[in-house]
Amino acid sequence: MTTDVVITGVGIVNAAFTGASEALGAYLTSPRPAAPSFAAGAPGIALADEALSRLVDATEARRMSRVSQLAVAAARLALADARIAGDTPLGLVIGTEFGDLRSTKAFADGYLQRGPAGLSALLFPNTVMNTMAAATSIAVRSREASVTVNAPLVAGELAVARAAAAVANGRLPVALAGGVDQLDGDIVRMIGRLGGAGETHGEGAAFVVLEPRAAAVARGVPILGRIAGWASRVLTARPYGVGRGTTSAAIATALRDADVAAPDVRWIYRSASGDAARDRWEDEVLGDDLVGRPSATLRRDIGRHSGLGALRVAAAAWTARSGLLPSDGGDVVRVPIGPGLVHGLARGGTHVALVVTS
Amino acid sequence: MKRVVVTGLGVVSPFGTGLKAYWSGLAAGTCAIRPLSLIDTAGFRCGIGAEVPELTGGSRRRSRADRLALLAAREAVEDAGLGRHERTDTALVVGAVGGGMLEAEAWYWARSRSGADGHPGVFRSVLPYSHAEVVGHALGLGGPRESVVAACSSGAAAVSLAADLIADGVVPCAIAGGADALTRICYMGFNALKLLDTAPCRPFDRDRRGMSIGEGAAFLVLEDAESARARGVRVYAELRGSAITTDAYHATSPHPEGDGMTRAMRSALARAHTAPHEVVYVNAHGTATPQNDRIEARSIRDVFGDGRVLVSSTKSMIGHTMAAAGSLEATATILAVAHDLVPPTANHETPDPDVAFDCVPKTARDVAVDVAVSNSFGFGGQNVTLVFAKS
Repeated sequence: MTTDVVITGVGIVNAAFTGASEALGAYLTSPRPAAPSFAAGAPGIALADEALSRLVDATEARRMSRVSQLAVAAARLALADARIAGDTPLGLVIGTEFGDLRSTKAFADGYLQRGPAGLSALLFPNTVMNTMAAATSIAVRSREASVTVNAPLVAGELAVARAAAAVANGRLPVALAGGVDQLDGDIVRMIGRLGGAGETHGEGAAFVVLEPRAAAVARGVPILGRIAGWASRVLTARPYGVGRGTTSAAIATALRDADVAAPDVRWIYRSASGDAARDRWEDEVLGDDLVGRPSATLRRDIGRHSGLGALRVAAAAWTARSGLLPSDGGDVVRVPIGPGLVHGLARGGTHVALVVTS
Repeated sequence: MKRVVVTGLGVVSPFGTGLKAYWSGLAAGTCAIRPLSLIDTAGFRCGIGAEVPELTGGSRRRSRADRLALLAAREAVEDAGLGRHERTDTALVVGAVGGGMLEAEAWYWARSRSGADGHPGVFRSVLPYSHAEVVGHALGLGGPRESVVAACSSGAAAVSLAADLIADGVVPCAIAGGADALTRICYMGFNALKLLDTAPCRPFDRDRRGMSIGEGAAFLVLEDAESARARGVRVYAELRGSAITTDAYHATSPHPEGDGMTRAMRSALARAHTAPHEVVYVNAHGTATPQNDRIEARSIRDVFGDGRVLVSSTKSMIGHTMAAAGSLEATATILAVAHDLVPPTANHETPDPDVAFDCVPKTARDVAVDVAVSNSFGFGGQNVTLVFAKS
């Protein structure tokens, strides 16, 4: 690793919290609901359309799909938080699990209902999963690399890791990294039948702004945290399956690069999603040493979506500074100020670890 | 930063399964664009495309795109002689767009008629990441696994991002490429955009009328040069540099002055420490749409000067294979370097006065190719340039 990578901005849009770094601590320490709250007929925790319309004006919203609006809104919050000007060379790494499946279905429905005359040339680009990155890059003038990472469950964590590597090695001067997904009834139903029946689904977007420490210091902006180490590897598992292996170099590599010893990791933001078989596997991968540490997932009042990865990274930076961890039990627990782990493990075996320090 | 070399190649193309069939087809200038059989074309203007013939091998329970990906990746791994032990620390980066959409469409069509959900297994393979899950599991790859969606530049983006993992010292070896099967959504979408030619596409021809769609898969084994030397394996070429840029201009149209394309080529050459005059051949994105070819030609001229480099579009033979296009064309570029033979632009009849270079019409050209460039562009203003050189 050649450059110290720091977080200078946070932008989050979901049903439970919309805002930037200044308000994040207040949200994380606020009382959590005992159970997820679904709007009538929604398949998960949905962001109200009125809330989204306050973030993206009507003229602009007409030109992009709803999931792209989520991404654009969160990206703008993050860049404003980091005080990044419009002419800054900027790269973008977006994780998503489901992309714009709603538009894909709408495109297909046009044909099924009206034949070739029912096809929409405007909807077609949204059927390609980089449509959120395209809309976001146009909205925020991101002209460096634009990368969409597609993965089950941990797309957001992978996106942050990929962006951190690009900044550390000088390929991107500044990176917006995070993830986005939107709710869809078909997705929730089918994933439930594939083994994720215990999961609560949600939607939203979250980004962190990453840049070299020297650049942040030169700009005089607050440093919210540091991505000190990152790594991803794969544990053996069938596609979309839960494996039995527990030995992965991801955690050890991330800790080694961060120069952090395993005993010094005192808290963890983990990817437990309510999918019982997968969550047990994550316990086993973390092992006896780490599984007993205080942990949080932030999923209960937000729900599973690819924005959670960057939100967990932003929350980890806050925990590293404040020594407070919003446990899933609803309490805010005191933890030692210092490094923590953001940990993700997906069905199929993709495993990612990020070490976050103040 | 470590040097990255190419030690294995694997292809499934409209010429059939295998690298040999692919290179034979390209070198002969054969056009594999024919009437489509996989999807119903009734009611649409265009009824042609480039299908993979007689797809054999792989479980029929897998999606067509997963099977294409696995066949190509397996050939690449065998070509590089990567053993089981080496694969445990090998990364996999897959460019994908359509995922298992061909089968999902059939499921969705049926559900719209019957209202029944059917088996959920189809959903497991519909998303683009399915190819990486299938390939990674089947080949026992334990390094980082990523699926990248960058529209029609996905395969090239995967190669660029995999090279970064090696250059940064994360892994000594990576398998990278792209795969896509024909899908109704893609076919209907490009019809809706009126971007398909009713005849086989004619890139850079004055009378070009649009693209031809295709399908396929190609994977490269990228390796740290020192690791390859220690293993004593053949090296096809060095991946000397690469770059990804974004237009930030329009959802489907490229920047009218080719800003992102030009920056991608210049940035990749800078990272490759290569001057434009060293480049002999450019494998162009060359879709044959009037707009893409005009703007790409302008960008190539801006970077390399008038008339100096040879430029061809292998899409004239295999169509636009979407997520696979970038890695299929990277493979063509590598083989051009390895064999000192530039594949032609098939169907090229009439030069376009706005295209200021030799398009290698119809017949492959014997010429020493020390350095070559592969361009890939896509919806969302995505631009990727790869620079290959003799090792």
